[in-house]
Amino acid sequence: MSQLKQERLLKVLLAPQISEKATYIADKNEQVVFRVVSDATKPEVKAAVESLFNVKVKSVQTTNVKGKVKRFGKITGQRKGWKKAFVCLQPGQEINFAAGE
Amino acid sequence: MQTNQETTNALERRIDITVAKEAVEQEVQARLKHLGRTVKMPGFRPGKVPLKMIEQSYGGQARSEAVGTALEKAFAQKVQEEKLRVAGQPRLEPKAEAEDGALAFTAVFEVYPEITLGEVSDKAIERPSLTVSDVEIDKTIDVLRKQRTNYETVERAATADDRVVIDFTGRKDGEVFEGGQASDFPFVIGAGSMLKDFEDAVDGLKAGESKTFSMTFPEDYHAANLAGQTVEFEITVKEVGAAKLPEIDAEFAKSLGVADGDVTKMRDEVKANLEREVSRRIKTRIKEQAMDALLAANPIDVPKALVTREAEQLAENARRDMESRGMQTKDLPVSADWFTEQAERRVKLGLVLAELVAAKDLYAKPEQVRALIEDFAQSYEDPKEVIEWYYSQPQRMAQAEALVIEENAVDWVLNNAKTEDKVVDFDELMGATA
Repeated sequence: MSQLKQERLLKVLLAPQISEKATYIADKNEQVVFRVVSDATKPEVKAAVESLFNVKVKSVQTTNVKGKVKRFGKITGQRKGWKKAFVCLQPGQEINFAAGE
Repeated sequence: MQTNQETTNALERRIDITVAKEAVEQEVQARLKHLGRTVKMPGFRPGKVPLKMIEQSYGGQARSEAVGTALEKAFAQKVQEEKLRVAGQPRLEPKAEAEDGALAFTAVFEVYPEITLGEVSDKAIERPSLTVSDVEIDKTIDVLRKQRTNYETVERAATADDRVVIDFTGRKDGEVFEGGQASDFPFVIGAGSMLKDFEDAVDGLKAGESKTFSMTFPEDYHAANLAGQTVEFEITVKEVGAAKLPEIDAEFAKSLGVADGDVTKMRDEVKANLEREVSRRIKTRIKEQAMDALLAANPIDVPKALVTREAEQLAENARRDMESRGMQTKDLPVSADWFTEQAERRVKLGLVLAELVAAKDLYAKPEQVRALIEDFAQSYEDPKEVIEWYYSQPQRMAQAEALVIEENAVDWVLNNAKTEDKVVDFDELMGATA
């Protein structure tokens, strides 16, 4: 795990997932939701969040989100799927996205 | 909220205003809550955005607004308490040293000057008078004739007041210079449109004759490459025309717009026009004098803020005026500074007039306004329509009212100041304000 390259870590996290659901979860479980690259592993996400935001991570849950099927007339299309990572922070830790901007 | 006032210069006032931080904070929260009901953000349904996120993106804005309104309120309250008449906008300066839990500001602003109307009775106003007689009419008709001068081709040497048509080529050091060549170029000898040396050279030539001469441009000639230079001109006179003034006859009358060519009628019309013009100019003169008298009788300080605003407005008007005449305003930066003096006079007059009107009850009465507009409308084809046009828009009515008030003020000054009638010369009257 410690062998994970810094280069890779910088690529793992794509964006914070900001939505009503994500805020609800954050309030309830001290979790932060990220969009991550589809082949990211939980240890990678954990390491990435710890190194980028300088916080302690308790655990990571991930799920693959299927892309929606969209139709344009007769033609059906498939949006890309993505991986969502629920990062559970250790008590007292916080990530402030706005401050980093 | 706490305020205390200090007086600095004659019209400038400073007020210290403190606003409790707590009150501002409450106001901010209230504003954010209000915003939260409508604000849209990706990922959230409208109205479901968490307050924290709203504060992150709108907090600063809400805070400055809250502080602004709080200050304005405090300021307005103070102004009302002290019965100050604020001119222009106050300038708010944050103060560094403030007590805990409060924001301190200094409001710097100017107040309208207190005007006590001065005496105008010792001011003398000349009332110019002039009756339009036959002499004046003849003079005007002469001017009109000159404007319609015809030129008849004659076979004689050109003299002063003749119109000549020439070809010319000018050479400097053997080279034709820019603008130094033209053909079929008409000009009137003695009218001053050409350089005097040039006119002299043409003088005495007959049609078909040519001449080569050299002349020196004056040092202050507008084209820098020619100023002070000696050049050689080759000119050929093509035509010499003698000036011929049109006779005062039916033809002339028609050209002045009298349809049936009646000369007496034309004279009457010229007389009527002249009388209108003369009375208009006399009115302007009296008005100017009355305003001057008012200004002289009421020396006041004017708030700088008002002068600046007025000057800016004048500059803007000038800019638009120039633009409408097709000038590039980009090349000509019109600075408001140019108008400061004029603006100051206008502001002063405005203040004095307002005070005078209020003090002497010189407000425009509806029937006066009506009379003025009807008078205006007389010169249009359909007076009724013009009157309606005025009455349909409050803005235009305001203009008319302003005119009436001005007239009232002038009348008042005339009634109260020493006036003396003075017969003025026609030329002087027409020339001076032309």
